[in-house]
Amino acid sequence: MVTKKQLLLVIFGITLLLVTGCRRGQTSDISDIGLDLSISPDPPTTGPAAVVIQLTDEAGQPLAGAKVELEGNMSHAGMTPVFSQAKEIEPGQYEAPLEFTMGGDWFILVKVTLPDGRQLERQVDVPGVETR
Amino acid sequence: MSSEMIIQLNEKPRRTKFTAGDILTWPLIGPFLRWRYSRRVMQAGLLLLTGVFVFDGLVGPVQAPKNLATVSAWVHYRGLVVLALLVAGNLFCMACPFMLPREAGRWLGAKLGVQGNVPKVLRNKWLAALLLVVFFISYEYWDLWASPWLTAWILVGYFLTAMVVDTFFKGAAFCKYVCPLGQFNFFGSLNSPTEIKVRDAETCAACRTKDCIAGNRQTGQRGCELWLFQEKKRGNMDCTFCLDCVYACPHDNIGWQVRLPLQELWFDPRRAGIGRFSQRWDLTALMVVLITAAYLNAFGMITPVYALQQAISDQLNATSELPSLLVIFGVGFFIVPVITLAVTSYASRLLSGRSREPLGLVVRRFTFALVPLGFGVWLAHYAFHFLTGGLTIIPVTQSFLNDVGIFAGQPQWQLGQVVPAGWLFPLQTIFLYLGVFGSLVTGFQIAVHQYRDRHVALRAFIPWAILTILLLLAAFWIMLQPMEMRGTLFIGL
Ligand code: SF4
Ligand code: SF4
Ligand SMILES: [Cu+2]
Repeated sequence: MVTKKQLLLVIFGITLLLVTGCRRGQTSDISDIGLDLSISPDPPTTGPAAVVIQLTDEAGQPLAGAKVELEGNMSHAGMTPVFSQAKEIEPGQYEAPLEFTMGGDWFILVKVTLPDGRQLERQVDVPGVETR
Repeated sequence: MSSEMIIQLNEKPRRTKFTAGDILTWPLIGPFLRWRYSRRVMQAGLLLLTGVFVFDGLVGPVQAPKNLATVSAWVHYRGLVVLALLVAGNLFCMACPFMLPREAGRWLGAKLGVQGNVPKVLRNKWLAALLLVVFFISYEYWDLWASPWLTAWILVGYFLTAMVVDTFFKGAAFCKYVCPLGQFNFFGSLNSPTEIKVRDAETCAACRTKDCIAGNRQTGQRGCELWLFQEKKRGNMDCTFCLDCVYACPHDNIGWQVRLPLQELWFDPRRAGIGRFSQRWDLTALMVVLITAAYLNAFGMITPVYALQQAISDQLNATSELPSLLVIFGVGFFIVPVITLAVTSYASRLLSGRSREPLGLVVRRFTFALVPLGFGVWLAHYAFHFLTGGLTIIPVTQSFLNDVGIFAGQPQWQLGQVVPAGWLFPLQTIFLYLGVFGSLVTGFQIAVHQYRDRHVALRAFIPWAILTILLLLAAFWIMLQPMEMRGTLFIGL
């Protein structure tokens, strides 16, 4: 019976590890950088959309000269993601086209490379994209 | 018979020659499957994979489309299972990874001496039907398809349940009375083109030991755990394709044979381990749950359902999603089927002129005719997900391997569709037409075998034919609605 106890202990240990363990694929963020995302049309519908991202630095000033990439995904498994590269249209303001290929819940991963080389990734949820 | 002779019989079983209609005689696959440990190998392989999926689900990316747990469970498992049932048989149960914890539980239970028989009240499909209903509601409420973490815990819970149930109960208690996946497979395998069955009836008639059910004392191979005695086994219901009977039979008289799909539903014999279909409310209820769920599960992902949910929530002044879900599922699972089946049966009985037949009997007899259409709807739905997203497993696996330190190249995120988008609708249509064709033939055959007189049979069949067509239209309506895959984003950790 001692062996059973030990077994339980091991199982418990593994479970604890799994529950508390670090997750891979966690987005890396720099919290001081401000990121504002808006989509037109608003509310978003299926089909082509334009995504505008405003970046601000630690002092709240527009952050120019960054490289901004987008990845759009659905909240459920089995859909191909859509990628897009943003262009700076004004200092600190970046615009990218993105195509919502199906109605439902989406999220956009914004990957930013700052002029100084630091990188950050942030997830913005876009729930309820309506079917046109 | 002296023991020497018996051993001889066991050592040199009559080798059955190649027959196209018997998969166990095919080259390569035949010898592999006839090897007693082939199933262990398949189970171990799937167990290993499941372990990887659970690991990724618990510690991997929180985003469902990037996690192996969600992609494998909701895109691949479901799609491949229905396709396998359509073209082959109950292949999942054959290779089921949950068999290993079951065996562990059995071993533990025997060691601790706690194994008993399943109580009589539980020796039916009611519990399994209830579990399925609970599962389908949870699926919508917790948006399981969007949560790798919950998906992984479901897998873990499944393992533990299989183990615990078989620690305390003898036989294949879990498979026969509990396992929701198994019940789905049993339901689907009624439509399959193959069956594990006796090769030559005379050999069975002459057999004294009946090892296929009693177990083979020479080799220690157990007989059928699901109490399907081959001589009286008819069809695929409750058969896990485990091949225990094949290994047990000392005369090599059981094969995995090609058959006419659905034919087993046309007759209503007393089946080993099951009895007559038409005498079992529990089995009928299980079929109703699975047929209805095919519709509700597909209905759950189209645009109108959200408007409906909103309307119900407003009406009830509810802030949570649960009340509206319970209303939709309550109506869908209970009220609509009860009324529809009662009305159709009543009309059928009226037209057949057999007014003394109990209405319940008519319900139980003809509900099985709707199985093919229900299966067709499952096929259309799950094949859709598989065919649109099947290849996403490649980049997701690549990214998993990269993250655990095995370089697998740049993930090919552009991969997704298995077939061109233009094929999807035609394929779904074919599945639905196959289903409706199967249902019409089955309904008519049930009537013919029941009423003998063709005119009476035809009249009894008409209401069921109308119901089948209406159900087909409902399936098409759902399919033509815009898809909207919603759910709360990223619950879990
Ligand atoms: S019934 Fe369930 S546990 Fe049994 S073999 Fe099938 S899937 Fe596995
Ligand atoms: S032993 Fe029973 S469940 Fe297994 S294949 Fe034979 S009949 Fe089917
Ligand atoms: Cu779906």
